[in-house]
Amino acid sequence: MFGAATFHAAMAEIVVGCMVLASLCAIGCATGSIMPNFLGGRLSSDRMMLTMDKASIAGACLGLLFIPIAALSGSFAADNTVNNALLYNKFVYTGLAAGFWAAFVIGRIRLGPGLWEHRSLSALQGATAGMAILMTTMASSIGGKLVRGESLFDIMPIWLPSDTATVLNPIVSIVLMLIGTGSLFAVLRLGPQPERIETDQS
Amino acid sequence: MMKSRAAFVTVIAILLATGASVANPGGNGDADRDYTCGGSCHGDPALSTPSDGTVTVSMDETTFTGTATAIHVTASGMSLSGNRLLGVFILGSANGNDDHPEDHGWSIVQDPNGGTHNYVEVTVPSSGSVTLTWVMLAPQTTGTVNLFVATHHGANPNSNNWAYSGLTRGYTVDVQPVPENLPGFAFDWKPETRVTGDTSPTVIKTTNTTSVSVQWMLEGEWIPHDAEVTGEGDEWHAQIPATIGDTRIQYQVTTSNGEFSITQPWLMVATQPAPFDGNIWDARLQGFALALLVTSFLLALQARLSPWEGGPVDMTSEVEAESAPPEPPGLEPEEPDQPDEYWSRLVPSEENPGWLWDPVEEEWVADPENPPGGDE
Repeated sequence: MFGAATFHAAMAEIVVGCMVLASLCAIGCATGSIMPNFLGGRLSSDRMMLTMDKASIAGACLGLLFIPIAALSGSFAADNTVNNALLYNKFVYTGLAAGFWAAFVIGRIRLGPGLWEHRSLSALQGATAGMAILMTTMASSIGGKLVRGESLFDIMPIWLPSDTATVLNPIVSIVLMLIGTGSLFAVLRLGPQPERIETDQS
Repeated sequence: MMKSRAAFVTVIAILLATGASVANPGGNGDADRDYTCGGSCHGDPALSTPSDGTVTVSMDETTFTGTATAIHVTASGMSLSGNRLLGVFILGSANGNDDHPEDHGWSIVQDPNGGTHNYVEVTVPSSGSVTLTWVMLAPQTTGTVNLFVATHHGANPNSNNWAYSGLTRGYTVDVQPVPENLPGFAFDWKPETRVTGDTSPTVIKTTNTTSVSVQWMLEGEWIPHDAEVTGEGDEWHAQIPATIGDTRIQYQVTTSNGEFSITQPWLMVATQPAPFDGNIWDARLQGFALALLVTSFLLALQARLSPWEGGPVDMTSEVEAESAPPEPPGLEPEEPDQPDEYWSRLVPSEENPGWLWDPVEEEWVADPENPPGGDE
């Protein structure tokens, strides 16, 4: 048998690995779309774009699948108690990462592979992946701080706050959850439905 | 080729950079530990090397059973890792097990960080020297006992990834029978840890004591202040100001009973940050709420930027057609010629001369080259 902390470390490594692949490919797609001549046009070639698109969506789906497992195992590893700001922020950044990755995956599935042919959508998707990997690495960095007392981000001159936490009243969180759920329903069911954008290769 | 080399060199540089990170450079925190943590990297001869620092220990060579005594440890001149962390042990033996002073009858009243541990970690100031003080109650049994001090630290640079460790000789303390009716701290008393800003009185438990006086001062001050003390019997309450921020307050208790008056070692008001006011459900709810908000916001943005069903249709041509005046007679634009593909699919009919059959539209079309009735 092994402890929850070991299991959590394994799950977190899967999440981070998948998400790094997904974000690199997504940012590559966005760069190829916005700057077609970057790297002599090799990045924006049809074959490259198709490969990066498929790798990004596959990595993001797999990572998104493992985020709840990593979060739950992390919760058990911490004995289901949060007694400091670092640990609290780990939950918050995990939630943010899950939100960004969910938007990335849902957006890609709804809009289709042709979204990279639209500069504005491409930029949005690339920025979403960038923010998502930022939140993912922030959450995993806090894990390093908690376990080893140090993290690679210690050498960064500026970084997101993690030593202090903004603790929302649970009622405010519940209200925000309801607003989020309502907004999600409105976007997915009541709002205009975006057309799936196919490409010649798809 | 150059780019490939640059990428290769970058990857190698990143991999080599991990070598600078050793086992626990961030320390393991204050704790109750045996010598070399019972066999850590610092205890493994293949991974460790003797410390290059100097450790001096100052303590009374004679003490009385159950009475408080201060052990001052000064460490200086050692190499340090980038975070300047130094781990210091006070030990009753150096066997690797049962080395804690309490295993040898001592009771730690206070460690240098305000806790009650035999191993503490401190950040060494830029002077390269640090003095730590443990206040301990001597064993309840008479005789001679030894106390050892061990240190753990790193170095910067540390190309061999060595864990540095040092161990002093044993300092012998002669524990003599306590004079009858000697006032002092209760053997089971430990100073309470206060929360930052807490002004509640400090509880002091004593034995053989009829009166207590307390003096306090901020760390670095020279002249102590008298604290108001209330209580009776074996429990006393000293009114010491609250600690705020990084300030540290020291206090010294004098226990008296008319026959003896004993000035105890200086202690520190152990202060810890206020307890974190969030719990796991707050964190879960907040994380989930933020996830939903972020997802819905980004999906709305995607819908706004994407082409969508029922979206605004470009009606420019229709509007222009309606608003434009009709062309003057004779200047109407000519109908565009039908494509060759259209005419090639038309089939002439002998039964209906002058007409062509369109199999797609299933209709008869007048043959422009042989109009119906053209021969008549």
